[in-house]
Amino acid sequence: MSTTIIAEQQEEGIHPTLPQLVHAASIIGGECTIIIPGGGGESEASEIVGVDRVLKFNGSCFSVFDSQSWSSALKGSVGGTVLLASTPRGRELGASLAADIGISVVQDITSISEGINVERPVFSGKAIEKVTISSPAVITIRPNSLDPAGNGASAPVSTIDSGEDLRMAVEEAITKASEKIDVSEADIIISGGRGLGDISNFEKLEEVASTLGAAVGASRAVVDEWGLPHSMQVGQTGKTVTPSLYIAVGISGAIQHLAGMRSSSYIVAINKDPEAPIFTVADYGIVASWEDALPVLHDSIKALP
Amino acid sequence: MKVAVLIKQVPDTTAKVGITSGSVDEGAISKWSISPYDEYALESALSLQSGSGATVVAITLGPERSSKSLIDAAAVGADELLHVVHDGGLGSLSLQKALSEAVTRVGAEVVLVGKQAADTNSGSTGPGVAKMLNYSCVGLVSRIEAGSDGFEATRSTPSGMERVSVKLPCVFAFDKGDVELRRPNVRGIMMAKKKPIEKISLADLGVDNTGEGVSTTSVDYPPEKPEGQRFEGADAAAEVAVKLREEANVI
Amino acid sequence: MGYEALDFYDVDSLLTDEERMIRDAVRDWVDESVIPKIENACREGVFLDEWRQDIGSMGILGAPLKGYGCPGLSYTAYGVICRELERGDSGIRSFASVQGSLAMYPIWDFGSEEQKEKYLPGMATGELIGCFGLTEPDYGSNPGDMVTKATEDGDGFVLNGAKMWITNGTIADLAIVWAKLDGVIRGFIVEKGDPGFSAPEMKGKHSLKASVTSELVFQDCRIPKDRILPGVKGLRGPFSCLNNARFGISWGAIGSAQACYDSAKSYALSRIQFDHPIAAYQLVQNKLAWMLREITKGQLLAYHLGKKKDAGEWIPEHISLAKMNNVDIALEIARVSRDIHGANGILDEYPVMRHMANLESVKTYEGTHDIHNLILGRHITGIQAFTKGA
Ligand SMILES: Cc1cc2nc3c(=O)[nH]c(=O)nc-3n(C[C@H](O)[C@H](O)[C@H](O)COP(=O)(O)OP(=O)(O)OC[C@H]3O[C@@H](n4cnc5c(N)ncnc54)[C@H](O)[C@@H]3O)c2cc1C
Repeated sequence: MSTTIIAEQQEEGIHPTLPQLVHAASIIGGECTIIIPGGGGESEASEIVGVDRVLKFNGSCFSVFDSQSWSSALKGSVGGTVLLASTPRGRELGASLAADIGISVVQDITSISEGINVERPVFSGKAIEKVTISSPAVITIRPNSLDPAGNGASAPVSTIDSGEDLRMAVEEAITKASEKIDVSEADIIISGGRGLGDISNFEKLEEVASTLGAAVGASRAVVDEWGLPHSMQVGQTGKTVTPSLYIAVGISGAIQHLAGMRSSSYIVAINKDPEAPIFTVADYGIVASWEDALPVLHDSIKALP
Repeated sequence: MKVAVLIKQVPDTTAKVGITSGSVDEGAISKWSISPYDEYALESALSLQSGSGATVVAITLGPERSSKSLIDAAAVGADELLHVVHDGGLGSLSLQKALSEAVTRVGAEVVLVGKQAADTNSGSTGPGVAKMLNYSCVGLVSRIEAGSDGFEATRSTPSGMERVSVKLPCVFAFDKGDVELRRPNVRGIMMAKKKPIEKISLADLGVDNTGEGVSTTSVDYPPEKPEGQRFEGADAAAEVAVKLREEANVI
Repeated sequence: MGYEALDFYDVDSLLTDEERMIRDAVRDWVDESVIPKIENACREGVFLDEWRQDIGSMGILGAPLKGYGCPGLSYTAYGVICRELERGDSGIRSFASVQGSLAMYPIWDFGSEEQKEKYLPGMATGELIGCFGLTEPDYGSNPGDMVTKATEDGDGFVLNGAKMWITNGTIADLAIVWAKLDGVIRGFIVEKGDPGFSAPEMKGKHSLKASVTSELVFQDCRIPKDRILPGVKGLRGPFSCLNNARFGISWGAIGSAQACYDSAKSYALSRIQFDHPIAAYQLVQNKLAWMLREITKGQLLAYHLGKKKDAGEWIPEHISLAKMNNVDIALEIARVSRDIHGANGILDEYPVMRHMANLESVKTYEGTHDIHNLILGRHITGIQAFTKGA
């Protein structure tokens, strides 16, 4: 079986998941073609080990993300199993392509093995579905689920021009006002407690939050004492949250706080008191003063590929 | 103007999902609700109804119990209700085919749908249905407004938001919007009870549920998280950052 | 995690589809709009006006009344509404009980056509708030001896006297006031702004803090002739109102009890002492099992009474039994739940102490616990024991 990977562009170039998709293609086997809608990053793509050719698509329709016209433009060049990153755009384009070609789509898989057998989280992660795929299908892969394929090859690059028309026009780009994310909506939350020492130190949490796209929360003690908005409060009388990652900084973990956040998928706790109850629920507990540990965490997160 | 809203009944996000011998134990689910993103689609449809007099047709596909989600939609104001009754699995193509035939049947030029359902977490329905109908499609929409010859939609992009204009016919797949969802009142609930639900089968829509080369072999609980790990000293934070990416896959 | 209403015997499966939809709508509203705001409202001692607006727009006020813009639901549905509201706070339920059963009901049952048309539609939407003035400073359990008086004077009535402990009094647009006219108890509608009428709020409550409680003062208060309720004379008037409100309380108390049980259960599972969750100890399990038992019995009592009300096959003593029993067990459950929470139980981070304090009022109003015992005692023996025989 052959595979076609549809790469995704982002502002800083090609989406970093591309080598992971190539790894998935090597598990499926057969020829691997990368399609780059709108072009850009083709030399990067051609260097990934395991890629047989790169097709760069030019055409006016690629100036705006429009899943319907993009899939019309691409479908003639797509063959075999189709792989995309499970990003919002990857999923939308993947679904359009599948319907266009007349094959099934399996979204957001987190593991893949020969067969083709894949796993995907369902019910917001409360269960894992195992799926067997026996005919060509579109598969979207959750970023960072697979190791990336290596570098050092040089696959041929060719260009295709598409005359497909766009079906929508951008009227206005709205840059995200650095609007604060609400803790009850956020997928990542970084919360501070009395251990921060002073309300001004919440700025440090804001900095990490903006790197992670996280919301900033707080324990009741500091909401009450430092007059923070009640909407930030996580815990018994505040919000009950279930983000995929909860980072507790200088929070001892009173039972009322734990009641509001213990169902988070992953919990990181930074506290200098090794006996702090927050460590009983932490997946990653760091016994250190937050003044020292938080900058290290922040820098290391920024340094991740 | 007819607006179709595709709504799916899913286990409420607060309900426990139990699994017995490789599949979800549906009988044990304590509460079924309209999938959260679909509620935003419904809310937008209802504001088109009050704003420009659109007729809102709520369509669901699922087993008998899913009628409840249509009654819930009627309780907040949906005008017409169509239930494609089907129990059991359905491949993505057959599902999209059935829903697009249903849209054609009711004659809707505007289709609103949630960006993904809370059970399967897929997000294929909106774009797939659009493709089958040859409608335009805008995803990740947080609001729409009817313009003179089409719609303007605000959608999120990797770097922020943008407002796009699009002509009808079109499918809009909704993300959460910053709108307040209307809540049913007693009057709505009493009226919903009287509203007829048209029930049809896949066969009525000319869709057969053929295998598509994709089959679910089992559903399991996610693997238990390993015991919590303890690190001493600030420098360990670097290691934790890597683990968050590689072990936990959350950043 | 989210609130899970204890329903061990699946009693709610006996409800109709609409009753369950109404339950869900009210329950969701309580989750979104009451729970996050109630503690603060209690600290400040206020009933939020947005609650009035929301309850009004949900269309649940005067639930079992038909016509004049009223919902026309079953008594069972009314009970369900009370239960869900009281799970949030007894003060919220009190607002709805007083409005529906004590202010709208007498107009609906005993009012003139003009009175019904004038007041009921606005009261059903919450635009007009009503209160019910029966109790007086010196006459609580024995309202029959009330001293508030009405006298006929030309084209109107003049009221003199005072009422006390009146829920919604200060925020009310109209008061149903029971007063003696020529020695006979009659109902009058007094409007906010009527000359000689004032309704100062009573402060300093340790209970029902998010509910407004007031005095009603009448000093030569003059009202027009058409404000008397033509359809009833004597204690039957206020007592028929109370029957409906008490019915709602028998359901409402279950809501408080469910909230206290829910909190106790999750606290017991997460609180570790002596190396184990306290829920692992037999004494704590015994307490939880007892709560489960009493709540389940109380639910069945309330449900069956609802069916009897809907069928019109009830006597006031049926209601006395349910009001008395369900408030009693709810209060005890609140206390036991508080105990399970240890010191945390006294904090307003948990709802239990608030429910406990609220239920102390609920035990007293709408006929004290012992007055209901006396009602049942009279029913059993045929001998009244309210007053000492001469
Ligand atoms: C928060 C709150 C809101 C209220 N809202 C309203 C309202 O909206 N409208 C209204 O009209 N009233 C209202 N009430 C008043 C309430 O109905 C009365 O408090 C109640 O009827 C009891 O009267 P009391 O407080 O005067 O107690 P009392 O009648 O003085 O009773 C005191 C104690 O004596 C006992 N007792 C009395 N008589 C006997 C007897 N014969 N035999 C044995 N024991 C007896 C009682 O059981 C009780 O334990 C409210 C009360 C509260 C606390």
